[in-house]
Amino acid sequence: MPRLPRTGLVLALLSSAATAQGQDEPLVLDPDVSFDPSVDFGFDDDIFAGAFDEEEQSATEAWFEDFTIRISQSTSGQINNHSIDLGAFGKFPKQADLETNRLQFNVRYQNPIAPGWLIQGSMWYRVYWNQDYEYTTNQDSIDTEGQLNDLFIQRSSGAHSFKLGRQTVVWGETAGNSVLDIINNSEFRDFTIIDIEDARLSQAMLVWDFFGTDNSSSLSTFVNLYPEFNPAPVRGSPLFFDPGFNLPDYSRDGKILLEAGTQWKKSFEGSDIAVMAAYLYENQLRYDPPLPGSADARPDINDFLLLGFSANRAIGKLLLNFDLAFSHNILADSFAFPGTSSLSTPVNLRKDQIGTSFGFEYAIDNEQNVSLGIQAQTLLDAEEGLQPGQTLTNDGVFGSWLVRYSNAMRNGDLTLSATLQGDLAAESLLVFLGVDYTLDDNWSLSSQIISISAKSGSFLTVFDEDIRLGTTLTYSF
Amino acid sequence: MNLRPVFGASLIITSLIASLASAQDMTGLEIMERVEENQRATSDSAFNRMQLSTCRFGIKDSRITCAERPRIKSLESVGKNFGDDGKDTKSVTIVLEPAAERGVGMLSYAYDDTQRDNETWLYLSALGRVKRIASGNSDDDSEPASVFGSEFTTEDTDTGKLEEYEIRVLEETTEGDREVWKIELIPNAERARKSRYSKTINYVDKERFIVLRVEMFDQYDNEIKRLLASRVELVNGTWMARSLTMMNLVSNRLSNMAFLEIHTDIAVEDEFLTTRTLTDVAFRETELEKLRQQVD
Repeated sequence: MPRLPRTGLVLALLSSAATAQGQDEPLVLDPDVSFDPSVDFGFDDDIFAGAFDEEEQSATEAWFEDFTIRISQSTSGQINNHSIDLGAFGKFPKQADLETNRLQFNVRYQNPIAPGWLIQGSMWYRVYWNQDYEYTTNQDSIDTEGQLNDLFIQRSSGAHSFKLGRQTVVWGETAGNSVLDIINNSEFRDFTIIDIEDARLSQAMLVWDFFGTDNSSSLSTFVNLYPEFNPAPVRGSPLFFDPGFNLPDYSRDGKILLEAGTQWKKSFEGSDIAVMAAYLYENQLRYDPPLPGSADARPDINDFLLLGFSANRAIGKLLLNFDLAFSHNILADSFAFPGTSSLSTPVNLRKDQIGTSFGFEYAIDNEQNVSLGIQAQTLLDAEEGLQPGQTLTNDGVFGSWLVRYSNAMRNGDLTLSATLQGDLAAESLLVFLGVDYTLDDNWSLSSQIISISAKSGSFLTVFDEDIRLGTTLTYSF
Repeated sequence: MNLRPVFGASLIITSLIASLASAQDMTGLEIMERVEENQRATSDSAFNRMQLSTCRFGIKDSRITCAERPRIKSLESVGKNFGDDGKDTKSVTIVLEPAAERGVGMLSYAYDDTQRDNETWLYLSALGRVKRIASGNSDDDSEPASVFGSEFTTEDTDTGKLEEYEIRVLEETTEGDREVWKIELIPNAERARKSRYSKTINYVDKERFIVLRVEMFDQYDNEIKRLLASRVELVNGTWMARSLTMMNLVSNRLSNMAFLEIHTDIAVEDEFLTTRTLTDVAFRETELEKLRQQVD
């Protein structure tokens, strides 16, 4: 199926639509044209005089101003009837199917309770309706679920700031594809979330920031008090594959796990740089096969040391990004592809790994932006320690690339976006096309199409030729 | 070509202290220098609350009206001048409303020197970090960036570099009930290469030295944007337009910047105009509270 040309056509249409908009003839205004005083917010010659009405400014109760609430109903499904080729396992038919049908409440709370103090929290709560995979898993009955994301207290005084509680720490410059953005774990349950920015999960941390007196540098140190790992895909979700045994979370058995790291950041005119070091556990658990008589695979945790460097450089409309990561003592055959759980191979060597992500963001014009990020990693001394006939899961240079394009029209009320993701081995391609339309200050509507192509044997093989269509209606206040 | 009379940096204030001296014999350049000199004075150490409204507009019986319900953003902005002669500006703007954009912040450093690119950082909570953005600016060949998705662009906020224009007084006329100079600004070759405007015509109040109207033209001499100022008031001894409306005559959309609160000559810590303000909410709110106490 010729998917790439189709994507190119859509991108071309998006571009031409923008061009056409910019080629309209300008309206010729009468020199004496003035504002209409009869409109609702009319005032003399100023149609926006309502802005100065103080009574309207205090309509919201003060206590409620600390909350931001978003209610959204989303529906999505796989719409292409086709079959998937699993090589030696044969071909399997895949029918069009509704996958998600859910109502979600997002609540965000941010309250500066006293000078220098802040409490912030966010959570979501979902109701899974008929035909949602969670509904099906729940024996065809409505199910609900809630999850706490952020919840931390912050104290800032002088040049210091402390944050204690569930929060995220983001390192690296490359948008959506950084080798350094690995502090927090993430969760990819289905294809309603494909961006790392949305999939990141908060963890219980203590973060200390020190801001330099030069007003251009800072030192940020974190201690992760309870490292967590990427959750296994929810049973019944499009990303869940039944391996024939359970994939449990890691059992600590009283063992105390800690992660810690520090980053020094400095801004120069036109550029920011940072160096960082951390002791981390890989977010993606690896599983050893179950012992005889057990239905549970055995999760392994992998600790390693990370040294990193990141930089950006702004040149007019162009922003260049660069990240560099050196991982010491990392498990050679481990990997963390979103939504999958890796099973270990007989190779359990610890090696050093070097990785980089780099790219650019380019403002085509006032409305259009395009970005490219490439991530590449390789193990050092890859062959060392291998037995005859053994190979590594990740051999040579491996990684991924990501291209994003957006066109914000009508002052941002209508945004067209496209994302293309693939791996460096050119074995898979994910194409995302989205439209976001803001109806007013409260209501917005979004739709998206996701198409996946994958070679047989690649990580996304079972999604080959999938086409997903989704839409979400959101009310924010 | 910049639109210096429109507003200064992100503070976007057009104003001037009323001149007691005779202005009858001033040249176009002298008038614009006076406008700019006072504009900088009003953008220094300022704390403002603004409402930014945008809509598609129509014209009926020579009256401009919104053809749809305007989209409204509430903003809080703090700015301060730096550098030699105070011609560089640092400002931070935070979105208060709508709820979907609450907490989005933008930090901007605008430099007078044509050799220095302006800098902008953005904080988006979904991104989880401060991000330098590639928006370009009027000091290079780039397209000017929109101010919070409105019809105001960074080119419209530019200040300085009057020497890069041919400035002449076209005529003395009236705008509304005010006597004005009609002043044409034509960029020189180098500046024209960097601008989307081939010329602007500015209507400057002869008594208050405030721009009441600006017409902006493209390279084909079509008027593509028009700015109208209203609600001119004396604030802290300075004449200011508290309502500025920028009309895009190509897209038929307009944005209005309403200055709900204007406070100048307040003490703004240099530390506040850094990326820390975007991420450290406890720090930001504490500093904002100090500013609020100064103006109450």
